[in-house]
Amino acid sequence: MSALLKMKSIRAGYGEADILYDVSMEVAEGEIVAIVGPNGAGKSTAMKSIFGLLNIRSGTITVGGRDITGWSPNRIVNAGVCYVPQVQNIFGEMTVHENFEMGAFLRKGDFSASLDRVYALFPDLKAKRKTIAGSLSGGQRQMVAMGRALMLDPKVLLLDEPTAGLSPKYMEQIFKICRDVRAAGVAILLVEQHAKQALAFSDRGYVLAAGRNRHEGSGPALLADRHIAEMFLGG
Amino acid sequence: MDIFSFVNFFLLPGVVQGSIYALGAIGITLIYAIMRYGHFAHGDLATFGAFTALFVAGLLGLSPYAALPVAVVVAALLAIAIDWLFYAHLRRMPKIITTIASFGVALMLRSVVQIIWGVDTTSYTRGISRPENWFGIRVKPHELVTLLVVIGLVIALHLFLTRNKWGKAMRAMSDNPDLALLSGIDNNKVIAMTWVIAGGLCAASGFFLGLNTELRSLMGWNILLPTFAAAILGGVGRIEGAIVGGLVVGVTEELSVLVIPSEYKMLSSFAILLVVLLLRPTGLFRGKIL
Amino acid sequence: MDWLSFTIYPVYLMIFMCIYGCLAIGLNIQWGYAGLFNAGLAGFFAVGAYTSAILTTSEAAGRLGGFDLPFPFGLAGAMIVSGLIAWPVGKICLRFRSDYLAIVTIGVAEAIRLVAKTEDWLTNSARGITGVPRPLGDLPYAQAQLAYLAIVGLILIVVYLLIERQAHAPWGRMMRAIRDNERAAVAMGKNVPVRRLEAFMLGSALMGLAGGLYVHLARTITPDAIDPMLVTFLVWIMVILGGSGNNRGVLLGAVIVWIIWSASEIVTDQLPAEFALKAKYGRMFLIGLLLQIVLRFRPEGLLPEKLRRAPLSEGALSPTGHGARIQAPHKEI
Repeated sequence: MSALLKMKSIRAGYGEADILYDVSMEVAEGEIVAIVGPNGAGKSTAMKSIFGLLNIRSGTITVGGRDITGWSPNRIVNAGVCYVPQVQNIFGEMTVHENFEMGAFLRKGDFSASLDRVYALFPDLKAKRKTIAGSLSGGQRQMVAMGRALMLDPKVLLLDEPTAGLSPKYMEQIFKICRDVRAAGVAILLVEQHAKQALAFSDRGYVLAAGRNRHEGSGPALLADRHIAEMFLGG
Repeated sequence: MDIFSFVNFFLLPGVVQGSIYALGAIGITLIYAIMRYGHFAHGDLATFGAFTALFVAGLLGLSPYAALPVAVVVAALLAIAIDWLFYAHLRRMPKIITTIASFGVALMLRSVVQIIWGVDTTSYTRGISRPENWFGIRVKPHELVTLLVVIGLVIALHLFLTRNKWGKAMRAMSDNPDLALLSGIDNNKVIAMTWVIAGGLCAASGFFLGLNTELRSLMGWNILLPTFAAAILGGVGRIEGAIVGGLVVGVTEELSVLVIPSEYKMLSSFAILLVVLLLRPTGLFRGKIL
Repeated sequence: MDWLSFTIYPVYLMIFMCIYGCLAIGLNIQWGYAGLFNAGLAGFFAVGAYTSAILTTSEAAGRLGGFDLPFPFGLAGAMIVSGLIAWPVGKICLRFRSDYLAIVTIGVAEAIRLVAKTEDWLTNSARGITGVPRPLGDLPYAQAQLAYLAIVGLILIVVYLLIERQAHAPWGRMMRAIRDNERAAVAMGKNVPVRRLEAFMLGSALMGLAGGLYVHLARTITPDAIDPMLVTFLVWIMVILGGSGNNRGVLLGAVIVWIIWSASEIVTDQLPAEFALKAKYGRMFLIGLLLQIVLRFRPEGLLPEKLRRAPLSEGALSPTGHGARIQAPHKEI
């Protein structure tokens, strides 16, 4: 299995301060990979570093073998990596449909096939396409956010805590959508606070602590490890 | 006061003046929405646009109306040039620094107008235009043109923002700048477009102000306060708010002479501004607060 | 011709320098210490000028007056009235980012100009107030100017020393803490709105003081005596060029800008009359350009505030604090 997205020994931070010291991870085609770990471990930061949203001091990030370290978000999106931030991840004053159009902003020509695919993944949103996105429920907003990111037909989708603040019902639904997205040929890297549930449905997982890789392995294997469960997954 | 004198002496002049404020306020609110600072050179850019139209009309012997599109284009290009020369390099600094820079640009623009065209009052046309009587409502031709052109510009802008890809990108940038960048929207192009629209509308507001009153080197500076009041009353970042705000400010100014001495007419927009900031700082249409 | 007559022009220049120095310190308290954008300081200056004129002149028909108070009372009145006008303005605007304060202060200056122009009973409207007394004003002209320079200079020194003491006292440290990190200051239990209001009123009072000093020099005041945009702008460029946050810096700025402004006037006065008028606007253009150049190449000013760690980074060059958004790390926005 070849690595689609690969981070190698990333050291990065905001301003002067470093948050990540040595983080490496990879996502292969068709995989769902979860990043878990305690608060302040640098999970979201690791994801943001892929997107060039903070200063990378050393290490490399590649997509399909191409070095994208230090690229602008705009070029990274074009290289096939799309990112759904944890908060403020929709255009709240625009309609659902316009959100998707903005997602396809970089596409030239017709994008109706992608649009159909997104509406197929999120059938609930089809009826609400003219609704102002900010007025939707939390779960539906998360779907708009994911739909927007999928409009560019990315190879990898980065999700930063997609289930934060959602009810268990919606959480299940988001996880199910993740599997559907994967089935459509998009690999997923997600940061999750709900570590157990995330590892249970992921192919592989990374446990981060204090800005470093601590453990990695298949989702079930990490879940089965008593030491990890006690230290990082809340018993 | 009967209904006709109310309409002829207060409502109509107020609506005309208000639509002039609206044109400026749309620019102010767009610049706030996209770049998040107050642009204080807006009034003086309007002055520049008004005098450019005067110059072009005189040079080519055109009617001032024919010179308006030229002035709009010149002001739009000038706005881009000003951004490129004086504002672009300040984008990483606190936004208020750009506001200070725009204050300096206001002084520079005004000086240029004063050097080229002097400080004397002038006008586009000589003589008094006679109002047409429409069933008791008297409208002067230039007032009618002002209203029609402003309505046309507003419709065109609305269509651009709701139908055009780049217009939607502008709204997206105003709504959620970080996500707009993540969607691959080119910030610099959106900013350039904002300046084209704001600069062009600014020239139009200056032109119509000159057409309905007269041209003076301080004309733009003097409408800066009502224009800002209109933008804030409408709700910062809200185009529809800027239009309603402009009309409310314009009509209030005209009506104010019924209750306060006419010398203080100019202060009614200031009073509106204070009341909005006190009672409802998000404005009528729930805009941003910066 | 005695030697004193050669001093007349330099002395005149230096008196103005001191008056502008006072304005610059006032603005520095507002902008440099508290990050407040006052774009209508000419209004506070005018209020000070009128107040001191009304308090110190003898009775005149048709307008408020006849108080005949001594000079120090005039100045004190100027400071109090200017400071009090700042109070409601600050109350309304200091909750918001400084853009709102800027536009409201422009409105305040406009309102003050209209009142001066309209209210006969208060300001004698367009005819203005004349016969404003000046301390030691009965001396021969050159001596009187020199004596007034001594008075104004002394007042400026006292203002400078008092403000410097305040700036290094806990009050000054707190102001800077609020400016640089409002949220942290709130978390530490600082009463941010009150502190800001204090800075705004104190700065405005000093602008009023400068107005008082001006009116006793000019001995007359009319609504059009002050070009609001020009006065406001000159003081801003003094503060920014000199180094906002540093009183010594803004005084240096006052000296430099006033010398440039006056020297350029001497040059343009040599031009034929038809150019001389236009040249005034050319000078204003250059002052506007000077601001752009300073903001581009030395935004921290000639004598930067010492406490600032990273003069060029976000938040360091004074201001905003007020609810400013945390910037996204993308550089372009």
